Amino acid sequence: MIYQGKQKIWADYQKEIPDNHWFYVRSCIRQNFFPGSEKMFLEICRNVLKKDFFETEYHTTCGGIAYHCDTIPQETVMTIVARQFALMTEAGYENYVASCITSFGNYAEIIETWREFPEVETRIRELLWKACRREFKIPKNLAHASDLIYKYRNEIAARAKYRLVNRYTGEPLKVVEHIGCHYAKMFPSKGVGGAEYPYVLCGMIESWGGNVIDYPERRHCCGYGFRQYHVKANRGYSLSNTYKKFESMEPYHPDFILTNCPGCPYFMDRWQYVIAETEGKTYGGNGYGIPVLTYEELASLVLGYDPWDIGMQLHQVAVEPLLDKIGIAYDPKEKYKGLNEKDLMRPELPGVLRCC
Amino acid sequence: MKENIVIIGGGIAGLEAAAQLLSLGYKPIIIEKSDHLGGHVAEWNCLFPDMTPARDIVSSLAARSADANIFLNTEISFVNKLKDSYNIMLSNGISIITKIILVTTGFSVFDAAKKEEYGYGVYDQVITNRDLEHWFNTGEDKRVNDCGMNAVGFVHCVGSRDEKARNPQCSKVCCITAVKQAIELKQKFPDAMVYCFYMDLRMFGKKYEDFYISAQRDYGVRFIRGRVSEVSENIDGRVIVKAEDTLSGKPVKVTLDLLVLMAGMVCSPDSTRVANMARLPVDSDGFLKSEDNVADIISSPKEGVFYAGACTGPKTVPETLAEARAAALKVHLYIKGLE
Amino acid sequence: MGKLYDELLKDYRVKEGLKTCINCGTCTAICPAAEFYRYDPRKVMDIVQSRDEEEIEKLLKSDFIWYCGECMSCVTRCPRKNGPGLVIMALRNLSARLGYFVCSEKGRQLYPLTRILTGNILNYGYCVYPDTFKWEDHKESGPVWKWHTEHIRDTMARVGANFKGEGPGVLRKIPQESLDELKRIFDVTGGTERIETVEKFSRAKAEEMGMDMDEYFRETFEHTSGSHLNNDD
Repeated sequence: MIYQGKQKIWADYQKEIPDNHWFYVRSCIRQNFFPGSEKMFLEICRNVLKKDFFETEYHTTCGGIAYHCDTIPQETVMTIVARQFALMTEAGYENYVASCITSFGNYAEIIETWREFPEVETRIRELLWKACRREFKIPKNLAHASDLIYKYRNEIAARAKYRLVNRYTGEPLKVVEHIGCHYAKMFPSKGVGGAEYPYVLCGMIESWGGNVIDYPERRHCCGYGFRQYHVKANRGYSLSNTYKKFESMEPYHPDFILTNCPGCPYFMDRWQYVIAETEGKTYGGNGYGIPVLTYEELASLVLGYDPWDIGMQLHQVAVEPLLDKIGIAYDPKEKYKGLNEKDLMRPELPGVLRCC
Repeated sequence: MKENIVIIGGGIAGLEAAAQLLSLGYKPIIIEKSDHLGGHVAEWNCLFPDMTPARDIVSSLAARSADANIFLNTEISFVNKLKDSYNIMLSNGISIITKIILVTTGFSVFDAAKKEEYGYGVYDQVITNRDLEHWFNTGEDKRVNDCGMNAVGFVHCVGSRDEKARNPQCSKVCCITAVKQAIELKQKFPDAMVYCFYMDLRMFGKKYEDFYISAQRDYGVRFIRGRVSEVSENIDGRVIVKAEDTLSGKPVKVTLDLLVLMAGMVCSPDSTRVANMARLPVDSDGFLKSEDNVADIISSPKEGVFYAGACTGPKTVPETLAEARAAALKVHLYIKGLE
Repeated sequence: MGKLYDELLKDYRVKEGLKTCINCGTCTAICPAAEFYRYDPRKVMDIVQSRDEEEIEKLLKSDFIWYCGECMSCVTRCPRKNGPGLVIMALRNLSARLGYFVCSEKGRQLYPLTRILTGNILNYGYCVYPDTFKWEDHKESGPVWKWHTEHIRDTMARVGANFKGEGPGVLRKIPQESLDELKRIFDVTGGTERIETVEKFSRAKAEEMGMDMDEYFRETFEHTSGSHLNNDD
């Protein structure tokens, strides 16, 4: 692997990301599975870095998953998106940041379609007016939330309490990064680093002290496949694609996986559990899995937030071995507690996958 | 004969044209920006279909054109159109007034790093057709020497027939070059598996099909009809290639010790520079535009400016040489017309 | 030129996704579906490009078009700037509109998908929502999801979510007026009509298969026959 070769490509794909004043929209999947991540995104941007991020309770799903499950027509998803843009316009913002990669891709595709076929935009403006009496401007800047954390990575590093270094060996942690397909595969120029060697997560990992490892199936989809997961009969597709990735990364012994897409960390976390229970195979050391983190979780950990405040207990794969490697302090007794020490009992332990 | 003839480019087209003009009694001037003559061919090892040493072709051309005025390490600084001639200022400070310019600026090899998914410049074991010729010539390339050579792949159409790479044209010579290089590697490493990943095999030239048959029959080269989609590197540093075998309709994944990218031909930036200075039009394929692509490919639309070789599009060596001879005749008749 | 091809050509995803196909297989080579299913996106492109009405109709009624995962990896690599994934979306859209989707096992899955996803959007304003993402239907979500959903108000509160709460925040209750707007968007853009179309054709198919709608839902959601995968006999 020739690192300088990648650097050359990264230099070609640097998108403009304004530093401040963003209109924030949430992700359906992340709110369900990684609720702490979105809370931490705003916490870090607003309270740590003192930036202006606006959220309105009136925004909704972008409809992206329903669209990619082919259950709603293109005009429907476009009009839902137009309504989101109208909320941004009404709030006086022009920078639009999405927490979800499916949304980000959806927005990028729609804006591109309108640019190429202006008659479609006109029609959607009519439909939005008819349905909601709203008007909108197209965002001046469109970003994914990981673009912002990438943008702020050095400011976060400057405030970091921990580095991505194995405290037992002094070596940088070995990190696999996984980029959501709809981040840059459709429009390479819309992603930091492009489609083939995206830099958005690599930049964070490098800035916070870790080593990025590349492996053959790095670019392969996690296996979500929309209808290939939501329909129970199809889930073998999803599982087999995740399995393929883990088999490919196994020889590199990564310490953890960093993701920027809502679905990917869920699938890569949960399918490890399924592979362990059905095949008896685990990919981390000593019967554990490989922890799969969101970029907000990682940023929060290096900044010194308590792992249970940011929702690490909602992972199926135990994160404690990783916390121990970095030297992050945590109280095992607090992991499954509610607010004010409320006893919520604890999840059952899987049969094979080792959990704490 | 006093008429100046300026030939821009000392590759095989410029040399052949100069040799012909010398034999017609003219004293052409060759401007060459590098420090040697022969252009791309001088970097090649053997030429299809008879494995002629490229060195022999170049040295014979250089000998036949030795009496021309040759400026090496020299570029064109600017071209001024005068009333019925051109004033060409060279980077060495010399200026030439001429009524005749023969553009033989040739092509550039497509920068294979632009096909990011193939990993040239990122993965250690990915090289180009040109790198491989260099290795044939010198034996010096760590990537080839150290790789054990159990399996090698050739990717056709790298930067050719590719709208994303902004090169829709076929580069013409890569199919046969891949077959040639595959055979040469098989000769050196008889036990290696050699694969060619192609979209169409364009075996149009004299004895090309024989070459192809020989590659299959005598050397066991495996031809897979599918364009390579992605290349990655495994933990041993070997490369993994993904393509579809479109004839069986199945995705295939092959692990290789070495991958050779058949980088195509693009219009050389030098051609574009000269075209800008002499106000020559560029065709929709990015190469220089001829007066007529069928009837008169060697005439430019500008008075006294002619083309030969790959500045107007990808060409083989014999095609280039034939065009250079035709251009020399055209120049000769043009000068006769002036008199 | 027949009418199915014309219908497809009206779809902007076909305008963007199919210029001219060279049949090189770049799309299939990295397609996650092609490795798993008996599927070849190149062939889909070739059939649409052929403008052969009979073949296109067969495609619209087949399992073939429902194998794609819409990851769009094919878009990155196509040397002719096509997007096979986009063409698939247009084919699925037409298959849904014409009711052809009920002719194939994978196509019939559009019924549970439509019920789940449009139901979530119109009822809650989310595509995925804990109240309808049951551990029983998603055992792969693991004991941790079972625990999370059993204690969801507490687990959500623990990580600072605003579950079913007023105002902004994670999994907040989306205000009724916003849900009303979504409903009106569905009404004026063909979303509602699509739900009704899928419902109508599915109902007829269920009757033909001798099932009530709950049985049909379970059948289409859970059942898979053994002839879809590359390694099936």
